[in-house]
Amino acid sequence: MAIDSSTTTSAARVAWERTVKDRYGDTDFVTINRSGVPVQPVYDSTDLAARGLDEAPLPGQFPFTRGIYPVHYQHQPWMDLQIIGYGMARNLRERMDLLDREGGARGYFGGAAYNIIFDMPSSMGFDPDYPGVEGSIGDAGISVCKTEDYEVLLAGKDLTKTHFSMVCNAGSPAMFALYVAAAKRMGFEGDQLKGNITNYIYDFFGHCGGMNFSPRGSYRLAVDVGAYCAEHVPNFGTITFSEHNICEAGATNVQAVGLALASVIAVLEEAQKLGLETDPIAAGMGFHVRFGEDLFEDVAKTRALRQLFAKINAERFGCTTNGALRARIHAQTAGSLATAQQPRINIIRNAYGALAAAMAGVNGMTVNAYDEALGLPTEEAVTLSLRTSQIIAEEQGLKKVTDPLAGSYYVESLTNDVEEAVLAFIAKIDEQGGLIECIESGWARAEVAASAFEWRREVETGERPLIGVNRFVTDEPEEHNVFRPDPAVARMAIDDLNRVKAQRDQAACDAALTRLREAGENVMAGREIGSCTAALVDAALADASLGEMQAILFDVFGTNK
Amino acid sequence: MTNDDPRFVPRVLLTKSFIDSHDRAIGTIAKALRDDGMEVVLIDYRVADEIAGTAIEEDVDVIGVSFMSGGQVDTTRSLVQALRDAGHEELPVVVGGTIRPFDIPDLEACGVKAVFRGGETLAAVVETFRTLALGSPRQSAVD
Repeated sequence: MAIDSSTTTSAARVAWERTVKDRYGDTDFVTINRSGVPVQPVYDSTDLAARGLDEAPLPGQFPFTRGIYPVHYQHQPWMDLQIIGYGMARNLRERMDLLDREGGARGYFGGAAYNIIFDMPSSMGFDPDYPGVEGSIGDAGISVCKTEDYEVLLAGKDLTKTHFSMVCNAGSPAMFALYVAAAKRMGFEGDQLKGNITNYIYDFFGHCGGMNFSPRGSYRLAVDVGAYCAEHVPNFGTITFSEHNICEAGATNVQAVGLALASVIAVLEEAQKLGLETDPIAAGMGFHVRFGEDLFEDVAKTRALRQLFAKINAERFGCTTNGALRARIHAQTAGSLATAQQPRINIIRNAYGALAAAMAGVNGMTVNAYDEALGLPTEEAVTLSLRTSQIIAEEQGLKKVTDPLAGSYYVESLTNDVEEAVLAFIAKIDEQGGLIECIESGWARAEVAASAFEWRREVETGERPLIGVNRFVTDEPEEHNVFRPDPAVARMAIDDLNRVKAQRDQAACDAALTRLREAGENVMAGREIGSCTAALVDAALADASLGEMQAILFDVFGTNK
Repeated sequence: MTNDDPRFVPRVLLTKSFIDSHDRAIGTIAKALRDDGMEVVLIDYRVADEIAGTAIEEDVDVIGVSFMSGGQVDTTRSLVQALRDAGHEELPVVVGGTIRPFDIPDLEACGVKAVFRGGETLAAVVETFRTLALGSPRQSAVD
C-alpha cells in the first residue's frame, strides 16, 4: 500500500520531530538500504497508519506475510539443510552420516533432511567422461550420473521419512529422474517421496553455469516436470526460484525478489498457455532466499516475498489451494559476503544471517561453513554451522513465537516499502513483455550487473564496511585446514560409468532413449505435457546415464549457446 | 612503450571455464579494466581451446580466467597447453576467484603469472593486468 502522508501524525511524533530539529538542526538521519528504500531513524504508529497497516492478518492467513502456518516453530522447527557434496556417492555418504551423528540432518517430524549439491559436470548434465570435465569431477559437489549412484548414497534410508533436496542446474530434470528411478528400485513409489529439485534450467544471470536451456525451452520443460510431479510425485518441490542466487549475482534485494517472482509469473503463464491448471504447478514451487546482509531488511524482504507470491498467484492466476498460495522458503546465508580474510569471522556473519532467517519464519535453513571462501568445508566448519542453527533453535528462544518482529513499526513499514519497490520492478518487466523478453534482450542481466558493480565500488571506497577487507584489516598470515576431495575420484567415476554401461540391457536402454526424444518433441510441440519427465524416469530405470538423457533434452529444448 | 604512453592500450581476454558457475566477479573485473582504459574481450563459459583460439584471434596481451566451482588446476593446465600448442606460450595467464591453497603450487607450476583470491582490491587487479600487458609482444611491437 502506498504511503498516505495525509494521515494524522501523533502528538508524540510532532513533539519528537521538534526535539530532533532543536538538537540536531537540519542533519539528515535517513539512510538508503540495499533495497534502495529510504530508512528513517525511528518509526512509530504514524508510519503504520500512513501505510494502512493498522490491522494485519495473523500467521497462516492470506496473504501469509506473517508465515504460512498458524503456528510454526512451536509445532515444527525449520529443517537443517546443510549443503553437502563432494566425491562419489560412497564418499558423500560419510558426510551424511557425520551430519546424522551430530543431529544435523533434522527434517520434519523426526525425519531426516539432506541438501545435496552436485559437481559442475553433474549439475550441468554432463557425464564424467565428457571432454574437458575431468578436473571438476567430485571437486565442488558430488558426482552423480546414474541411477545406481543414488542407491549407494541412500542405501538403507527410509525415503518416506527423508527430505531429499537437490541443488542442480541444467541437469535437473534428468537428475531428478535418476532419483525417482533409484527410489522405485529401492521399493518406494513417487507419492512417498519428499524433497525438492532446484531445477535451475535457465541461466538467468550467469550464476547457473554456462551451458543451459534456451529461455523458451526451459519454461516448457519446467512445466513438464511440474505436471509430471503433480500427478506422480506430489510431495516433491519441482522448481526453486533462487532469490539467493540472484542476490549472489549482485542484485539488490528488490531486484532479486522481483526477478524471482517474475520467474513464477513466466512459469504460470506457460502453464496457462498449455491449457494446464495453474494450482498444481504453483504448488510445486519454492524459494531459496539469501540472508546475512542486513538483518531487518532480510526479514522484511522475506515477508514481502510471501505476501506477493500469494497475491500474484491469487490475483493473476486464480490460484486458490493452500500449496499454490503459500511460499515455502529455504534460507541460505550469503556466500558472497564471506571473506577469505580472517575467515573465522564468517562464523559471526553466518550466525546473524541464520538469526534473521529464523525471525523471518523460513522453512529450512542452510548455514554456510565459515571456510567456504577458501574451498569446500571441512568437517569442523560444517559442525560449527550446524551448532549455529542449533543454538538459535534450542537456546535463544526463537521457537517460542511465530513472526516475532510483527508489529515493529520499522519492520512492518519496511515490509510494505520493499513490496512497493518490488511491484514497481515487476511492472517494468511487464512493460517489456515479460521475463523471457527481459532475459533475451539482456536487460535482466544488465540490471543485476550494474548493482554488482555498485556493491563492489562501495566496498572499494569503504562506503560499505566489510570487516577484514576494508575495516580492521590484519596482515598476519593465517593457516587454515582446507578440505581436499580425493583427486582419484575422476578416474573411479568414469570406470564406474563404463561398468554400468557394459552391464545394462543396451537394447532396452536405446529404446527408452528413443521414446525420450519422441516425448520431448511432443512436449516442445505443446502436447502431452508431463510425458517428457515420465520418459526420463523410464530411461533412468533402463540405466541410461545423465549425459545421455541430457544430450537429447538439449537437442529438443534448445540451449542458450 | 611505457605505462603512461597514450598508445599503450592493453587488450585483455576475460572468461570463465565452461564447467563453472557464478560469473559476477568476472563482469565486475571487466568493467574495472574498461574504466581504466583497457580493451576487454569478455567471453563467458568456454573450453580451453576456445579460450586460447579467441585470445590469439583477438590479439590480446593478457588472459584472465575466473573460477568458482572446481576444476581450477585442470582447466588452467589445459589452457596453457592449448596456448603452447598454438605457439603462443608467451601470452600471460592470470587466474582469480575461489582458489584454494592447495591449488596454488600447481597453478604456479603451470606458469600462471598472478593469482587473485577473494578480497583483492580492483586497483591491484588493474595494476597487474597493466604490468603484464606492458611486457607483451604486441605492445613491444608498437615502438
